[in-house]
Amino acid sequence: MERYDIAIVGTGPAGVSAAISAKIRNKKVLLIGDKDLSKKMRQAHEISNYPGFPKVKGEDLAHAMAEHLAQMEIAITNVKVVNIYAMGKYFSLQTTGETFEALSVIIATGVMPGKMIDGEEGLVGSGVSYCATCDAPLYRGKDVIVAAYGKEEEKEAVFLSEVAREVAFFPVYNGDPSEMPGNVRVVREVPTGIRREGPKMVLETAQGSYETDGIFVLRESVSPGALVPGLATEGPHITVDRQMRTNIKGLFACGDITGRPYQYIRAAGEGNVAALSAVEYLS
Amino acid sequence: MVKVINAAQFDEVKNADVAVVDFSAQWCGPCKMMAPVLEEISGQYEGKVEFFNMDVDENQEIAASYMINSIPNLILFKKGEKVSDSIGFKPGEALKAWIDSNL
Repeated sequence: MERYDIAIVGTGPAGVSAAISAKIRNKKVLLIGDKDLSKKMRQAHEISNYPGFPKVKGEDLAHAMAEHLAQMEIAITNVKVVNIYAMGKYFSLQTTGETFEALSVIIATGVMPGKMIDGEEGLVGSGVSYCATCDAPLYRGKDVIVAAYGKEEEKEAVFLSEVAREVAFFPVYNGDPSEMPGNVRVVREVPTGIRREGPKMVLETAQGSYETDGIFVLRESVSPGALVPGLATEGPHITVDRQMRTNIKGLFACGDITGRPYQYIRAAGEGNVAALSAVEYLS
Repeated sequence: MVKVINAAQFDEVKNADVAVVDFSAQWCGPCKMMAPVLEEISGQYEGKVEFFNMDVDENQEIAASYMINSIPNLILFKKGEKVSDSIGFKPGEALKAWIDSNL
């Protein structure tokens, strides 16, 4: 398998800045994220403290960053990273598409909005999955629950319905779900807890509890501790030092995911530090 | 080296001074990722710790007797008695720290 020098996860200002600095240092870079860069930045009305861009609209800054990437011939790989495993001498990145390998990794995913479901984190990989396309084969002819935190996750539920016996679909978002296949049952309740009972999984809501074989929790981003097993975190943030090093050798983090204040310019600065630290690690 | 064993060979675990058994399964992604990590660190414990791998689907009785319901699940045995366990994928450094704290 092709092995990258530095894989960067996230295309906000931190990830973009890290990719630019890594590319300048001639590293083989894999940049994973949204092709349209950070959604949050694009929606920012006005940013007033980014040097050189007074009162810039978020959309315009995102556009300038996209141009910068294009100019430096840095492509964006538009997949979702499900897990990052520290293999010792390299990292394995499992995504909704193919699996990638890199000698070092920079996490620049931004902070996850919202909380995890009680019990969710401890059961990831053993009854709780974040990736329908990865784990669906395990549930052939069995029952699954899908807790969906965005309308776009409906297609994952439809995909699971082709494999599983029955899908209980919990839409945790505004608006009504589109029409679903016959073996998908829509339950309009909010998941509050997940636990295992022998070989079965149980999802709890304020209204009742639901037994099933596997639970898929689908949201835009997963918590850093669930993304990288063994990673040291403090609440929703990854613990880093001033060189943006995490507790795992070769793994760096930058931007909002490392803590407050959540500022575009700070994120960009940290991306630069993380890239240079990764370059140093590789040498 | 990590030796793949079945229920009939479980005496090897029972008879070892210190043994680490990796309970895992073919279909489990994190197990697949952890196997090479465990293989790599096993070399550093030669003569001190014996490493084994057991498939939970093929050895359901033993898996049930140790209440394995989340894999990968590593159990550290001393003279055949369970001393500690470690659940889920862990990087090599973390695995070594876990083993060392139980030696």
